[in-house]
Amino acid sequence: MASQPNGTSTDWPGRYYHIDQVLNTPGPRTDPAFLAGDGVKTFLRNQAKILVIGAGGLGCEILANLALTGFKDIHVIDMDTIDISNLNRQFLFRQKDVGQPKATVAAEFIMKRVPGVKVTPYFGKIQDKDDDYYLQFNLIICGLDSVEARRWMNATLVNLVDPENPESLKPMIDGGTEGFKGQARVILPTITSCYECSLDMLNKPTAFPICTIANTPRLPEHCIEWASVLEWPRVHGDKKMDTDDPDHIGWLYKIAAARAAEFKIEGVTWSLTQGVVKNIIPAIASTNAIIAAACCNEAFKIATSSAAYLNNYFMLIGTDGIYSYTFEHEKRDDCPVCGGEALEMTISSEMTIEQLIETLVEKQDIQIKKPSLSTPTKQIYLQAPPQLEKATRPNLEKKVSELVPPGGEVTVTATTLPFSLSLRISYST
Amino acid sequence: MSFTNSIDIEQSTVVIEAAPDNKTRRYDRQLRLWAASGQSALESSRILVISGSATSTSILKNLVLPGIGHFTILDPEKVTPEDAGNNFFLEGPSSIGKSRAEETVRLLVELNDGVEGKAEMRSLEEVLAKDKEWLSDFTIVIAHNLEAVLLDQLASFLWEDTSNPPLVIVRSSGFLAEVYIQYHEHAVIESHPETTQSLQIDKPFPALLEYAMSLDFENMDVTDHGHIPYVIILVRLLEEWKKTHNGSPPTTYAEKQEFKKSVLKMRKKADEENFEEAEAQAYRAWTTTTVPSEIRELFTEPKVLSLTPTSAPFFHLVHALSRFASTGSYIHLQKLYKARAEEEKAIFKSYLQVPVSEDMVDAFVKNSHALKLLKGKKWGALDADPQALANAVETAPKQLATHLALTALSSFATKQQPNAPLTPTMEALTNEALALLPPGTELPEEFEAAVGEVVRAPTADLPNTAALLGGVVAQEVIKMITKQYIPINGSCIIDLIETWTGVL
Repeated sequence: MASQPNGTSTDWPGRYYHIDQVLNTPGPRTDPAFLAGDGVKTFLRNQAKILVIGAGGLGCEILANLALTGFKDIHVIDMDTIDISNLNRQFLFRQKDVGQPKATVAAEFIMKRVPGVKVTPYFGKIQDKDDDYYLQFNLIICGLDSVEARRWMNATLVNLVDPENPESLKPMIDGGTEGFKGQARVILPTITSCYECSLDMLNKPTAFPICTIANTPRLPEHCIEWASVLEWPRVHGDKKMDTDDPDHIGWLYKIAAARAAEFKIEGVTWSLTQGVVKNIIPAIASTNAIIAAACCNEAFKIATSSAAYLNNYFMLIGTDGIYSYTFEHEKRDDCPVCGGEALEMTISSEMTIEQLIETLVEKQDIQIKKPSLSTPTKQIYLQAPPQLEKATRPNLEKKVSELVPPGGEVTVTATTLPFSLSLRISYST
Repeated sequence: MSFTNSIDIEQSTVVIEAAPDNKTRRYDRQLRLWAASGQSALESSRILVISGSATSTSILKNLVLPGIGHFTILDPEKVTPEDAGNNFFLEGPSSIGKSRAEETVRLLVELNDGVEGKAEMRSLEEVLAKDKEWLSDFTIVIAHNLEAVLLDQLASFLWEDTSNPPLVIVRSSGFLAEVYIQYHEHAVIESHPETTQSLQIDKPFPALLEYAMSLDFENMDVTDHGHIPYVIILVRLLEEWKKTHNGSPPTTYAEKQEFKKSVLKMRKKADEENFEEAEAQAYRAWTTTTVPSEIRELFTEPKVLSLTPTSAPFFHLVHALSRFASTGSYIHLQKLYKARAEEEKAIFKSYLQVPVSEDMVDAFVKNSHALKLLKGKKWGALDADPQALANAVETAPKQLATHLALTALSSFATKQQPNAPLTPTMEALTNEALALLPPGTELPEEFEAAVGEVVRAPTADLPNTAALLGGVVAQEVIKMITKQYIPINGSCIIDLIETWTGVL
């Protein structure tokens, strides 16, 4: 019953009474191309194939909404297993499921609850799948908590676009939440602004200067950083810190609390220690529900044309009343993923390769961890493999101006990102 | 040597907590937002939801998961095939024909062992006729798409007595929706503002000023110099500046630039981050610290002026704050400079006329720059006020258009035979809406688009709209119950065609 290949046999009269009201008739703002009636219902219920990335806070909500709106062929990817701290919002999981793969448990729950819907789980990474895999879907919805994964997915879908083949353009709907805030957006790869275009909108992670941590702590966070960044390696040597191990958190907490007592700083708690070292983002069911519903509503509108879809960004803040802002985020011509133009960069002629790399890591609109650099004719610095890293390492101390002529291009790559960034370098002095 | 050391008189003691228990781990991601105090308020709450619709269960899902104490679903109906198709808390065809309250409660309580759920199969008519007081027993009441006459009766009963629970009214039709909270007033101490509180650099308390002036910047060793907190740098420089400028802080653009330059000039090394921070924060030196106007308004609240021993603690605290502020000391109360704050808290407490718990006093003084007192209106006040509607045509046409379309639909439905299919026409709904406006006032331009959607899908409780409302309403209810963060004051209008929300 749970995995009927053809969903229609499990439908009952009245099942789609609510949905059909908007599929049987257009509204005043519906595009004239909308073909009300059976055609659109057949497409939605028997043909559309949709991919959900993430089966966590947003993913659980997305899967339930898609199933109820009539999508019957849903795929879901998630590499995580269920943790007890997921249970305050990831409502397809129960205590007994802790430790099980999220994708599998979520898929089984949906198929049991909503008759005739087929959910195909994949317990693994998005990077395991190739272009042919992604090409089979009509739509992709992302409910991810990682910037890296979003950048990978976004770049993959932009690269997938073949101007000769309209089917290769896969709309990507992306949601994200933090506490009472969240955002949902529609990305039409190569047509609208993409995820990479808006990278500079992300909040910069707070970094504390090492001298404050080492010498003049003022905040509880300073004490926790002291314990994790300085004391852990000093005491434990090469042993890796595991932020999921309660013993490790307990140790850090004790060290941080003692440090705090010494400097008469209040506020070091177990919870804060864990929050700082794991970079925990607060998350609640209600915000995830809002953002997931907004994402699924866009998916529904795109799949059925029953109403215009979001162009292209919706953000919501629920801390002070309900504030939201809907706007069109603009495409960047020098976006390394969808822009095509090289990014202009003016640097001092004294800047070394090492300093350039630091700049690339920190710059808000670039944020490339471990970049490798090359010019059209030579390799400047490669992070891997080890022998090439060793061979190019002497370049780190050289000035950029020794290796790249004014107006010359530098190609930046990183193993974590499926694209390269072109920089056009000019010198200020 | 540090600033904290020199002024702290209390000794911190190290109390090591044990690793968190299962419950704390389960709620970890939300405790970071509303802490143990908010969680305990949730766990003591009792919530009534009227009807077991898809929207109702979506709301409850987001309240059961974070751990409310109790919920009741009031619904006399049986599950229909239509319900079984759009409600995630029904089990498809196997739920059809069973009690909708019982089925939805059964599947909702599965989400959290710590929550009690009850199915109540009476009708609201019966409760209002024979057992109204039963309603008073809840912390908050939520009603989705309730028939207009019944809704008015419910709203009037709950409004009558200020001790009755607030009422959350949720209306939806297809892609459009509205949420309203009926409350007399709602006081918030922990509003979690985004803006940081003033550091009061313009009015340093004596010990701080004395400390800043006592430091020998020039002969200090380089390490200590690089560790002077930026607050001290600014206090010191401002004091020196005032001596040469007739006691005034920098006022003109040129003076401000000069002040900033003098900050950087004090550096012993080019990379002293504390001086860079001081330069970046220099605006604080010419920002005047005063009691925020919104807080000053609270001082003249009727309930503060006519305080009685039985007044709510919030008003006693505000009253104490107003007396405290009149001494000119308001500015040091916030828990910024610990030792000073402790002294001033003691003075503050001496102004309190009734005992208030220590935790509440602490939260109050810490948030004394961001207190909120919201005053609400009875449901229906807007629709009963033609002039207010006419004003809204000008000020919030888009929001008003959707509100009027939904109101028109419910007025229309009320005039129908019970159980007749609801098939309104554009014309009928437009007339319903026009009847509310002053004669001669035109409907907003956006009305046609809104009412057209209502005519298209008058009874559609769409899964995505229901899910979004579930999130929005649960956020508001959590804010109401925890008395943390700030709930809406009025209506929130939602349009899922263009994907926007707005307030009315």
